Amino acid sequence: MSAPSGLTSQAEITGDLNLECGVVVVGSGAGGATVAAELAEAGVDVIVLEEGGYHPTGSFTAETGRALRTLYRDGGGGMAIGRPSVLFAEGRCVGGSTVVNGGMSWRTPTQVLDRWAGQEGVLAISEKDLDPYFARAEALHSVGLQDPETIGRDSELFKAGADAKGWNIVPNRRNQLHCAGTNSCTTGCPTGAKRSMLVTSVPRALSRGARLFADCRVDRVTRSGPAVTGITGHVVRPGGRKGPAITVRARTVIVAGGAIQTPALLLRSGLRSASGELGRNLSLHPNAMVTAFFDEDVTGWHGVHQAFQIREFAAEGLLLTAVNLSPTMLAGILPAYGRELGAQMADYNRIVTAGPLVTDTGTGRVRNVPGVGPQVFYSLAERDAARVVRGVELTAEALFAAGARRVLLPFDGAPEVRSPGELRRLLARPVPRRSIQLYSIHLMGTARMSEDLRRGVTGSFGEFHGVGGLFVTDASLFPGPIGINPMETVIALALRNARRLIERRDRLGF
Amino acid sequence: MVDNGVVTAAPEDGPRLSGVIRPTARRFAEVVCPPEVRADHRTERVLREFGLMLGALPSAARKALTTALILLDQGARVYPPARGRRFARLDDRTAEAYIRALLARRDAAAEMVQRLKGVVTMCYYDLPEVQREIGFDPAPYIAAVSRRRLETYGPQIRAGEAVVTERLPEPGLPEPGLPEPEGLPEPGLP
Repeated sequence: MSAPSGLTSQAEITGDLNLECGVVVVGSGAGGATVAAELAEAGVDVIVLEEGGYHPTGSFTAETGRALRTLYRDGGGGMAIGRPSVLFAEGRCVGGSTVVNGGMSWRTPTQVLDRWAGQEGVLAISEKDLDPYFARAEALHSVGLQDPETIGRDSELFKAGADAKGWNIVPNRRNQLHCAGTNSCTTGCPTGAKRSMLVTSVPRALSRGARLFADCRVDRVTRSGPAVTGITGHVVRPGGRKGPAITVRARTVIVAGGAIQTPALLLRSGLRSASGELGRNLSLHPNAMVTAFFDEDVTGWHGVHQAFQIREFAAEGLLLTAVNLSPTMLAGILPAYGRELGAQMADYNRIVTAGPLVTDTGTGRVRNVPGVGPQVFYSLAERDAARVVRGVELTAEALFAAGARRVLLPFDGAPEVRSPGELRRLLARPVPRRSIQLYSIHLMGTARMSEDLRRGVTGSFGEFHGVGGLFVTDASLFPGPIGINPMETVIALALRNARRLIERRDRLGF
Repeated sequence: MVDNGVVTAAPEDGPRLSGVIRPTARRFAEVVCPPEVRADHRTERVLREFGLMLGALPSAARKALTTALILLDQGARVYPPARGRRFARLDDRTAEAYIRALLARRDAAAEMVQRLKGVVTMCYYDLPEVQREIGFDPAPYIAAVSRRRLETYGPQIRAGEAVVTERLPEPGLPEPGLPEPEGLPEPGLP
């Protein structure tokens, strides 16, 4: 499995690197790979730096532990400190989080775009403005509906529950090319059917002459006066050991490390925004998991990851989805242990896991803590806690309607629930906020766009206010939560911002 | 880029648990994992996985979990039924009661024990033979559906993959031949 031409991994780097290019891109996920491919296609000399390793499709297995260690940052064990704390996961590999996400591909809701334009001071962000970019994103990544034979029994049961309740449920649009339904999205798609950046924009960028350095961590964005001059960083050796130094000189730096690493890099580079918002305004779409036991064999790992979304409660900021978890992940979240855990896990093939994803109103913050590194702080707002509880109740109702015999709720100390009546009685009492077990994979908003310097960190096209040649293009740009899976929005914004850069390349000097 | 997806990965090299926390981690695994953890040297393999997982964590989290194990071990000395013994030396019943008592506290200590329990039980259920025992054996399934995919949609897959290296029309211009988007979002989303 040799690396494609133009891609260099740590083993091939034996000494310090001193490079020069037109544009250096930090990160190879949905934002970074997309902008790199567009610029390279326009003839720009592009270097992409990715902290994670290169893991081709042929290396992917269904081994969860291995995937967590090789494809995810910090073994997938990120934690936003708060009451309750929120576990979150970020991809760290060539292709970024798109390699390990579920592949849900939805356009930004119109209402969200209207709010960004009307209340957040973002220009050229209407549905009409973005439609061509959404269309291009969908064509590049084969976005569409699943082939019916790949829908698993867990998804069918979830839909049956929604149908029984009379709720609006929609099939997911995903970036997939005749997905086989292996249910391996979160450990790396073993067929390449999921059209992650690894198999789309990364090879596209490389085929147009871009250079990509994997296992290279960027420590700082460098400046001279009010303009950037490039980056400095280092090679990451196995086990995280620090390798040779990297210096890239470029008059344009595009940071696309995601909503945690992007502000962390900019802050440790000594950059500040006049608004004071850099690293703040973090939204994370908190979600919680209900575990339901059925009498019948479900075998939820036969079939695609997350085939449907219940949209009935979208106006309340709630999406409900069913997601099959591997035994490794399920054992990690079930509160039981010992013999009781063994008994629950023995029913693994009769389990459906599902839960709400909440459009949060509270926000968190990313800070660099000396000796620790980037640390996330997030306090779940009371209103959002109430939404999580309602979402859990609705999810459990749908699962009971589908025939579940008992459910486990994601609240510390909650008893097993065996009927909708028991569920209502239990949730009639207040659920302590700190007892809610929360997870997140959608991190957004820490370098928000706005033309208003008092509000935004970047302008409407990702240009960092007050620093020439510095741009952001990832979910950090979102002024707020979008209430839907964010990947397609990130790609569309990257396509749009790349176009803007290409139009202004003479002025930017690349 | 098309393959059948059945790959046996090479074993990983990684950090081993230090001698300081190893006995505690072993005892903890014996309590929080199902009883079958003691069969067929599984505890050893759980500890190996645990070492690899600790190695993947950021240093602060690694130190926190390591410290938690040390505190868990020494804290047992003040748990009356332990009669001054450390956790690693407790009999099964007392060790289980000690963990149960810690988890019942609903404080930071309980949260840390719950997190430790999560990581250790993940390591147990990551063992292939344990997964097979509960009916999870994905490799043959992945191979079968991957074959079905290629047999059913081979030409369409090759055409779709070719998009990667084709030069698509720029945004805003007509894009002949591109598929119509399916299942666009409906009005009324948040």
